[in-house]
Amino acid sequence: MKRILQFPRVVLILILAGCGGNPKTPVIKIGCAAPLSGDQAQIGLENCRGVELAVAQAEENGFAIPGYRFQVMSQDDQHNPSQAVNVAKKFAADRDVMGVIGHFNSSCTKPASAIYYAAGMVQITPASTNPDISKQGFNTFFRVSATDDIQGPSGARYAASSLGIKTVILIDDKTTYGKGLADEFEKEAKKQGLSVLTHEGITQGDKDFTPLLIKIKPLNPDMIYFGGIYPEGALLIRQARSLQIPSLFMGGDGIASPMFIELASPEIAEGTYATMVGQDMKKVPAAEKFIQNYEAKYGPVGLWSAYGYDAANILMSALTKAGVKDRGKILEALRSTPSFTGITGIIAFDEKGDNKNQVLGIFKVHSGKLDYVEPAQ
Amino acid sequence: MSALDIFFQQIINGLTLGIIYAMIALGYTMVYGIAQLINFAHGEIFMVGAYLGLTIYLAIQGFAFGPAGLVILVPLIFIFTMLGCSALGALVEQTAYRPLHNAPRLAPLITAIGVSFLLQNAVMLLYGPQDKYFPNLIPIHRFSFGAVTFTNLQMIIAAAALILMGLLNLVIMHTRTGKAMRALAEDRQAAYLMGIPVNRVITQTFVIGSAMAGAGGLMFGMYYNTINFHDGYLAGLKAFTAAVLGGIGNIPGALIGGILIGVLEGLGAGYLSSEWKNVFAFFILILILLFRPQGLLGTRVVKKL
Repeated sequence: MKRILQFPRVVLILILAGCGGNPKTPVIKIGCAAPLSGDQAQIGLENCRGVELAVAQAEENGFAIPGYRFQVMSQDDQHNPSQAVNVAKKFAADRDVMGVIGHFNSSCTKPASAIYYAAGMVQITPASTNPDISKQGFNTFFRVSATDDIQGPSGARYAASSLGIKTVILIDDKTTYGKGLADEFEKEAKKQGLSVLTHEGITQGDKDFTPLLIKIKPLNPDMIYFGGIYPEGALLIRQARSLQIPSLFMGGDGIASPMFIELASPEIAEGTYATMVGQDMKKVPAAEKFIQNYEAKYGPVGLWSAYGYDAANILMSALTKAGVKDRGKILEALRSTPSFTGITGIIAFDEKGDNKNQVLGIFKVHSGKLDYVEPAQ
Repeated sequence: MSALDIFFQQIINGLTLGIIYAMIALGYTMVYGIAQLINFAHGEIFMVGAYLGLTIYLAIQGFAFGPAGLVILVPLIFIFTMLGCSALGALVEQTAYRPLHNAPRLAPLITAIGVSFLLQNAVMLLYGPQDKYFPNLIPIHRFSFGAVTFTNLQMIIAAAALILMGLLNLVIMHTRTGKAMRALAEDRQAAYLMGIPVNRVITQTFVIGSAMAGAGGLMFGMYYNTINFHDGYLAGLKAFTAAVLGGIGNIPGALIGGILIGVLEGLGAGYLSSEWKNVFAFFILILILLFRPQGLLGTRVVKKL
């Protein structure tokens, strides 16, 4: 009996010991929420590593509040909306968390934003592009990335004017992000005189899209536009090519990932177009140092790393400006920051928290890499 | 492409998927028929088969010499994957189900779900959470009949499945082990009294069922070229539906059920709506349970008193 009683005590001691570090220095935590497991883990990791790098550098440069040490608290929302809400509640309940970088997927960012609003804490999403999120009237919400009402149409304009596409088929994954993006593409495509042959949906996590592809093959579209993320995107293009559907393939930032090329294989992914928030990072001088530092620490830089990095830097500068560990003061400081120069460009928030300076680029897969083509119009 | 071509193309692709479902469904149905147990970790063994196949391929690809080597390489990968999955199946049976042989029927169901989580997370930790690229083990050739096309890979999957199912039939109908399995399925108590080693036969059933699931997992990886640690969940559920459709406990029923589910799913997604693709399989499950709970080939069992 005695031994049984001792067991929880030992566990408790181990847990307390695990909280570690120097218990005397008070801590300020920066939350990072993204899918860190599952099929979208790659983009989530890219993002949170960017955050970690920014926080570590800010601390090194004395960019912070004296007397505090900083810690990034990364949480996995599994790109699942209900898990995202749990993560948000965890952050809100932790009095040391002074702001959150996240979430990644629009379907997660949207329900979580209500919880951050209730807790009065800053939320900066580096990646969620659905336009409706910022229309909820939450003053705690900020967004670094562009929105789909700009991204979708810019893809449609590029397809119509530069690629000379006449007919297009839309496929989306029925998520807030995927469907929102495809819907915005469709609206602009119709304005540009493209004929939209059909608009179909698939399910995230599914593997076999051949029934749908066989159905659309006789329609012989010039282009298939996919609103969704790379695991399904890669399978779609593989299966389309295997059924000898030659249509051009285009998508949004969800497929603009090295993992898309790896899963589809470079030969099959060749010639795929993607719109992606941001510009060619290799042409921004400030980004060079970031890429060096990142690659020294984590390996090849992903497209999303820079957004996590910029979002975290914005939060760190607001923290410094506020000078106190107080969620309300930090929010005020961020609200009153006119603009911020990051490695993805100048970031200035409008009253809804959206980035006024939305820079979008067209990318194309070429010999196994995602090459920057030109700025999107 | 004419409407008829489209129809045949849907059937061909549905058949391929159906064969893979059937490979998993066999394990469900055998284990249920012999041990009266629904092994919900079976889908995970299928998933492990895909990962094991990939690992074995990466380990031995260096030894293969050119196209001639493929003839040895691919069967070798199949054999090792099936052996590995058999061992895993036996281990699961010994640790999670055997101690519960006399427990209420809900208990092994719960441990099955536990094993399922354990295997999923173990694979996630070992191989990482992301989709893994599964390379083509053989160069893909395409055959066309008019507008209808299929690949050599689809033929190999069908041929391998037929060979394995033929072997299974041989084992069940013409060996002592098979005889013991049939006896156990008929009446476990009587079989025990006749001196049949019940525990050993149950383990053998798990071994055979897991080997089939492992081969199915390997086919799945070869066919879709990406694998993920949670692939076993949905595929397992659909195979379970196939087993129920064919009549759980009935081996030819699992084959027919698997193929029917694959084809109906393809036709449903192709002609009705691809958004509802996963709904069709489970809609069939509900219909079967309502109107023919014993399944297509099952016979209604009179409750023994």
